[in-house]
Amino acid sequence: MRTYTNKKNVQAKPYYTDRFWKAPQVAKYEVESDEVFAADLAAIKAKFPVSDAFIQVEQMTVWINASDIYGVLELMRDELAYTQLSEMSAIDFIEQRDEFEIFYQMLSMTKRKRIRIKYTIKNGQAVDSVEKLFRSADWSEREMFDMFGIEANAHPFMKRILMPYDWQGYPLLKTYPLQGDEFAAWYEVDKIYGKEAREEIGPEIRDTSTIDRYDSERFAKLGHEVPKGTEITGDEPKNEQNYQEEGGVFLIKKFDKDSSKVIDDPQR
Amino acid sequence: MAQHKVNYTQDGGLPVALTSIDKIVNWGRSNSIWALTYGLACCGIEMMASGASRYDFDRFGTIFRASPRQADVMIVAGTLTKKHAEFIKRLYDQMTEPRWVISMGSCANTGGMFNTYATVQGVDRIIPVDLYLPGCAPRPETLQYGVMLLQKKIRANKAGNAQKPKRLM
Amino acid sequence: MAQVKNRLSPFFENITFDREDNELILNFGPQHPSAHGQLRLMLHLQQEQIVKAHPDVGYLHRGMEKMAENMIYNEFMPTTDRMDYIASSSNNYGFALAVEKLVGLEVPRRAKVIRMMLLEINRLMSHLFWLATTALDIGAMTIFLFAFREREYLMDIIEGYCGARLTHAAIRIGGVPLDIQDTFISQLKTFLDKLPQNIKDYEDLLDQNRIWLMRMEEVGEISTEMALSWGCTGPMLRASGVKWDIRKEEPYELYDEVEFDVPWSDKGDNYARYRIYMQEMRESAKILYQTIDMYDECVKKGETELMAHSPQYISAPKLDIMTQNYSLMQHFVLVTQGMRPPVGEVYVATESPKGELGFFINSQGGAYPYRLKLRAPSFWHTGILTDLLPGHYIPDVVSIIGTTNIVFGEVDR
Repeated sequence: MRTYTNKKNVQAKPYYTDRFWKAPQVAKYEVESDEVFAADLAAIKAKFPVSDAFIQVEQMTVWINASDIYGVLELMRDELAYTQLSEMSAIDFIEQRDEFEIFYQMLSMTKRKRIRIKYTIKNGQAVDSVEKLFRSADWSEREMFDMFGIEANAHPFMKRILMPYDWQGYPLLKTYPLQGDEFAAWYEVDKIYGKEAREEIGPEIRDTSTIDRYDSERFAKLGHEVPKGTEITGDEPKNEQNYQEEGGVFLIKKFDKDSSKVIDDPQR
Repeated sequence: MAQHKVNYTQDGGLPVALTSIDKIVNWGRSNSIWALTYGLACCGIEMMASGASRYDFDRFGTIFRASPRQADVMIVAGTLTKKHAEFIKRLYDQMTEPRWVISMGSCANTGGMFNTYATVQGVDRIIPVDLYLPGCAPRPETLQYGVMLLQKKIRANKAGNAQKPKRLM
Repeated sequence: MAQVKNRLSPFFENITFDREDNELILNFGPQHPSAHGQLRLMLHLQQEQIVKAHPDVGYLHRGMEKMAENMIYNEFMPTTDRMDYIASSSNNYGFALAVEKLVGLEVPRRAKVIRMMLLEINRLMSHLFWLATTALDIGAMTIFLFAFREREYLMDIIEGYCGARLTHAAIRIGGVPLDIQDTFISQLKTFLDKLPQNIKDYEDLLDQNRIWLMRMEEVGEISTEMALSWGCTGPMLRASGVKWDIRKEEPYELYDEVEFDVPWSDKGDNYARYRIYMQEMRESAKILYQTIDMYDECVKKGETELMAHSPQYISAPKLDIMTQNYSLMQHFVLVTQGMRPPVGEVYVATESPKGELGFFINSQGGAYPYRLKLRAPSFWHTGILTDLLPGHYIPDVVSIIGTTNIVFGEVDR
């Protein structure tokens, strides 16, 4: 019988999990405990519905509806002085809830505060582009599309950014294996030499413990390596590091190790 | 005008040397290895350091060239990604023969620590490699020793023979 | 043999010439000696003037975020080295700080001082490297050799500490693994005493240099709005008239205890950025002198702790592991299964030499991060080229790429 593999999440799993272990939570605080955040949240709440808001590790997280994102960021930029969009991306929760969480990391330089705006979208849904408000979202949204396949509406150039244009698959999805699928494994061979070269070039060696039969033994002990298969007695002669051939090189003076000068003082 | 006395009887004093064509051609090739700067990632910084003040690569006749047409050896320094793979093949094809390739650092040798979807698992899947330098990143001394080994390799070859296609893994 | 022939089509799209509007498309990269890595630029030209620029990145995308999701937290530390490989410890530190904030660790003071020393040495290394490469691109070979000479001395110090020149992995989650070596302080002092004269040498060569000024002044001007909108940080933002340094504004470690200035300018051009980098080197030296005093104080007070005490997350010191059973068991669990931070999210920004280096971690309580987003400053500093290059001429491209100080390990991650 084949062992069960979870197709929805192919990421590495810890080999041991404690069934009775319950993960603690990072402490969440009421927004009212911070004046600046409370005022900001009130300003957002006045115009847009907010489903949840709390302070976690000195930063406020605000949960909004997906359709409000443009309005919320516009309000934050123009009225609340959150002038920079530091970062935005998605988190894959397809396995659990068939949805993505999208986060926008905002920074106010006058208030010295950071707010994280979050919302969820269903798998296959698109987000509203905020590229008109923050140019930095231009590349962020492209990266999000590249990594998760989430498109941004009204984005001027919705193409892959990090992976090649002809790439298949979205690497940061939990369904995508770390070492890539078959398309990824043969991408460069197919592109450069064509599919018929696969056989000649052979599959990728991804097992880190693979040893070629030509490899030497004790290659960590510099100067004392021996060919594979040699019986190691422990007192093999030292393989001198030679820069030149034994017989000398035409027109070049033989390098003499004894006459070379070793500089001890690193601050010379 | 400076006057100097040349002692013709001493070693190297004679203005005439007798040798074979092989030796003189290999002497020329091995002592002016011009490298194509192929700095891809971290190892590229160490490659630059080996060309800079302390390690001073010029004294081995190794000068970094930016054009593949002027280079003899391609030092692939850093991670080769799948997106970049076609360009390394293009640039290798543009180099004139005889040409050699040094794969510098774990990433270029085997993919190294980046055992992921985006990296080519060893540059020898794309182009034939003459020398593999271990390390992440290899020190400039490693690169210099590698170039000296390459010199030895060049001198061991027959100069007149065309380069045979090398084994590709 | 396969490697003799290939199926790549001739690269004629490289240069096209459209007769109707006289527009030339020039491909720059991805392997270009003055692109500071694997940057590819598609430039639309009218004669020599750029009308449209399209930077193409991703040629060094190695899937670090994906790797992080398949690793325990401590395992990911060496990978962060390869992000901004010019200043590795600053990446180590950013990640360590993010995890420490997530699990709520307090790092001992002596470790904090050592971390600050490493961070500032890395900043100096990065700035010297920036100066070397930018000057080389512009044609000042002497500066390249001078700046590399000084950088090698710093590398000696770092190498003595952690054994590596480039990829340090010198900072651990919860502190630092080792105390600094005996020669560290004396070597550092020797270096720092020479540094002002060295910086003055560079400035003597460059400040009034006609070529340098013509390539730098009023080239690549970034307005404040543009810098903010593109998410620029670090020297790029400070050169555009925003005095924002995370070390000063949201102090981490012991940066609130040291005296230093934040150089800034409202010019926004290449020359302003150059001046800021030079000034920041002086400020780093100032901080390093103060950290030496702080370290001496720690030694005097007899504070020897280097790692935070938190058996749930951090292994005990080596002596305890070797002598006490419980510590050994804890160490075994932490190494094989990894620490399990609480469920939650954290975004921590630190001032790396390039700008704001942020780590966003979403933890679901497991031993592997559920999502790790690396906010690398260079990513947006490359993006700004889209808006910055149009209007400039081809030779300006090189100097603009130089002063934006982009590193592709960080851009593509």
